Amino acid sequence: MVVSLDIDRTDESAVRPAWQRARAFFSTPPGRLVAWLGILGLLGLLVGTWGLARKAVVFGLAEEAPLALAAVGFALLYRLTGIINVAYSETVTLGAYFGMWFNTTFGWNFYLSLIPAALGAGVVSVITYFAFFRPAHRRSVGVVEVIILSFGLSIVLRYGLQLIFGHEQRYFKVPFQNPIRILGLGVPPFRVTALAGVIAGALILYWFIQKTRLGIQIRALAGDEKLAQVSGINPLAVTVLIWFIAGLAGGAAGAFYGVGATARPLLGWSKFLYILLAVLVGGAKGLRGVIIAGLGMGVLLSGLTLAIKGQGLYSEILVVVLFIVILKLRGNRMSEAAKV
Amino acid sequence: MSLDWLSAFLIYALFTVAGTVGMAQFLHLQMGLAGIGNFGIVGFFGLGMYTYGVFIRRIPWPDAMGDILPFVISMLAAVVVTALAGMLIGWFISDLDGDGVLVGTLGFATVVYSLALSEKRWTGGAEGMAVTDPVGFGTKGNSLFWLGLMLLLVVAATYYVARVHRSPYGRLLVAIGQNEPLARSLGKPTFGIKLSLFAIGSAGMGLIGAIFAVMNHFIRPTEIGIEVTLAVMVGLVLGGSARVWGAVVGVLLTAGLFDIVVQIYLPLPDSWYQITLPVVREMVFGAMLILVLLWRPLGVLGDMRRDKLVARLGRG
Repeated sequence: MVVSLDIDRTDESAVRPAWQRARAFFSTPPGRLVAWLGILGLLGLLVGTWGLARKAVVFGLAEEAPLALAAVGFALLYRLTGIINVAYSETVTLGAYFGMWFNTTFGWNFYLSLIPAALGAGVVSVITYFAFFRPAHRRSVGVVEVIILSFGLSIVLRYGLQLIFGHEQRYFKVPFQNPIRILGLGVPPFRVTALAGVIAGALILYWFIQKTRLGIQIRALAGDEKLAQVSGINPLAVTVLIWFIAGLAGGAAGAFYGVGATARPLLGWSKFLYILLAVLVGGAKGLRGVIIAGLGMGVLLSGLTLAIKGQGLYSEILVVVLFIVILKLRGNRMSEAAKV
Repeated sequence: MSLDWLSAFLIYALFTVAGTVGMAQFLHLQMGLAGIGNFGIVGFFGLGMYTYGVFIRRIPWPDAMGDILPFVISMLAAVVVTALAGMLIGWFISDLDGDGVLVGTLGFATVVYSLALSEKRWTGGAEGMAVTDPVGFGTKGNSLFWLGLMLLLVVAATYYVARVHRSPYGRLLVAIGQNEPLARSLGKPTFGIKLSLFAIGSAGMGLIGAIFAVMNHFIRPTEIGIEVTLAVMVGLVLGGSARVWGAVVGVLLTAGLFDIVVQIYLPLPDSWYQITLPVVREMVFGAMLILVLLWRPLGVLGDMRRDKLVARLGRG
C-alpha cells in the first residue's frame, strides 16, 4: 500500500476562474448590452470585409477540415483514457502513407483507399497501445513520463518513415477535376468531399459516443473504471475500441491531408500543435467544442494568411498565440475528466 | 604539449556534447525536481542564438568599441531576453497541468522557429546569417577557447544544481513536483518559484545557444529543430532525472557515444554519415526514451534516497 498524497484539485481555489466571472458579467444588463454590441460589431466586420471573410471561410474550411477530424480522434483518446499521445501525429502521417500506397501501387480510387488508410492507422494505433501504453499504465508511469514516452514513440515512427520512404514528398494519383464554385470561389472537388466526409465522420463519432450502447460503455469506463467493471463492461475491449476509433479518425484525416497536399514524414507533426490546441481549447465543451475549435482554427489560419499578404508563418504564430491566451484565460483544469 | 590528436571534428563533437549536458542540467531542475515537462528547450536555445545574432549583426557597433565589447553586450542581451521569455512561459504554465505545459512550451518553440524563418530582415530567413568570432587565437585556438568556455559553463551549472539539491530551494522544487497544492497550502510561494525556475533555466539555455552561434559562425533555422530537445531529454532521462550527475552520465551515454565514438571512430561507409546515420541517431534516441521509461524510469543512476523514504513511510 502506497500512501497517496493526491488532493482533489477541483475545488482548490475560492476565486472563480476568469471565464466564470466573465459569464457572470455577461448576464447583467450592461453586460448584455456589451455582448450584443460585440455580436453586432462582429457581423459588421464580416459584412465590411466580406471579400476577405468569404475567402477565409471557404478556403479555411476546405483546406483545414481534416484538422477537425484528427482533433476528434485525439480528443477521444485524451478525454477517455487520459493519455496525451504525441505519437498520434504519426497516426495521421501513417494514414496519409497507407492511402497513398493503395492509391498509387494498387491503383485504387482515392475514396476506396480511404478504407485501408483508416483501418491501417487504427490497427497501428491499437498496436502502440498494447506495445507501449498498456505496459506503461500497468507500471503506473507518471503523466509527464507518459507524454515523454509518447514523444519518443513519435520520434521513432517519424524517423522510421523517413528511413524507409526518404525525405521527399509523395503524391496521390488522382485525376484532375474542374474546380467547383462556392460563393464565387473555385475549390477543388476533393476538398469539398473531404470537408463533407470530415463533417460526416465527426458527426458519426459524436453520435456513436453519445447515443449508442458501446459509446455509453466507453464513457462509463472513463468515468469510473472499477464501477464500470462491476457493471459487466470489459475494460480491455472497450479501451482497445477507443484506441482503434481514434486511429481510424487520425488515419482518415491523414489521407485527406495527403490528397490535399502531399504525404511526407513530417505531415502529422506539423499539425500536432494545432490538434492539441483545438482539443484543449474546445474540449471543455465536449466533442462539439472540439469540432468547432478545429474548423474555427482553419478559418482563422486562412483568413489571417489572406489578411497578411502571403505570410503564412505570421498567421500560424498569431493563431498559436491566440489559442494559448484563450487557454490561459480559461484555465485548463477540467473538473469532469470524462465529459465527452 | 601537442594537441594534434584533437581534430576539428572532435573539438566540435565535444562542444556539442558539453552544450547538451549544460541544457540537460537546467532541464533537470525543471523536469527532474519540479516535475514540469519542458518540451520547448530548443525554443530557449534558439532564442538565445538568434538574439545574439541579431544584436551582433544588426546593430551598427562603432569601430571604437572593438570586437569584445559588442560581443559581451550581445551575450548579455541573449541572456536577458531568454530570461524574460522564460518568465513569460513560467507565468503561462504556472497554473496548468501537464497538457497545458506541453502545449505552452511546444508552442513557444514553434513560435521561435517560425519567427526565425519569417523575419528575414533580422534573421536572414531560411538562409540564416553569419556571425564573426570576436577572439583571435587562430582557427583551432578559437574553437578550443569556446570549448573551454562551454566546459566552464557546464561545470558551473553542475555545481549550481548540486547546491540546489542541498538547499531549501531544491527541497521546495521537489515538493512542487510531488504535490503542488500541498506546498501552496503550507504557505510556499509556488508561483514565484516556478517563475524564477524558468527564468534561470531559460537564461542558461539561451546562453548556451548564444555560444553555439559563435562556435558555428552561422545561424540557421535548421539548427533549432526538435532534435535538440530530443538529445537533451533523452540524455537526462537515461542518466536519471532525479540525480545531480544524471544529466552528465546520460548525455555521455547517448550524444557522447553517438556523436564522438560512432561518428568519428567507427569505420562506416561515407554515404551512411550523410543520410542514414542522422536518422538512425534520432530513432535510437526515441527508442531509448521509451525503453528507459518503461523499464528503468529513474535512469541508470537510479533513485534518490528521498524516494526510499517515501516508500518506507508508505509501508509503515
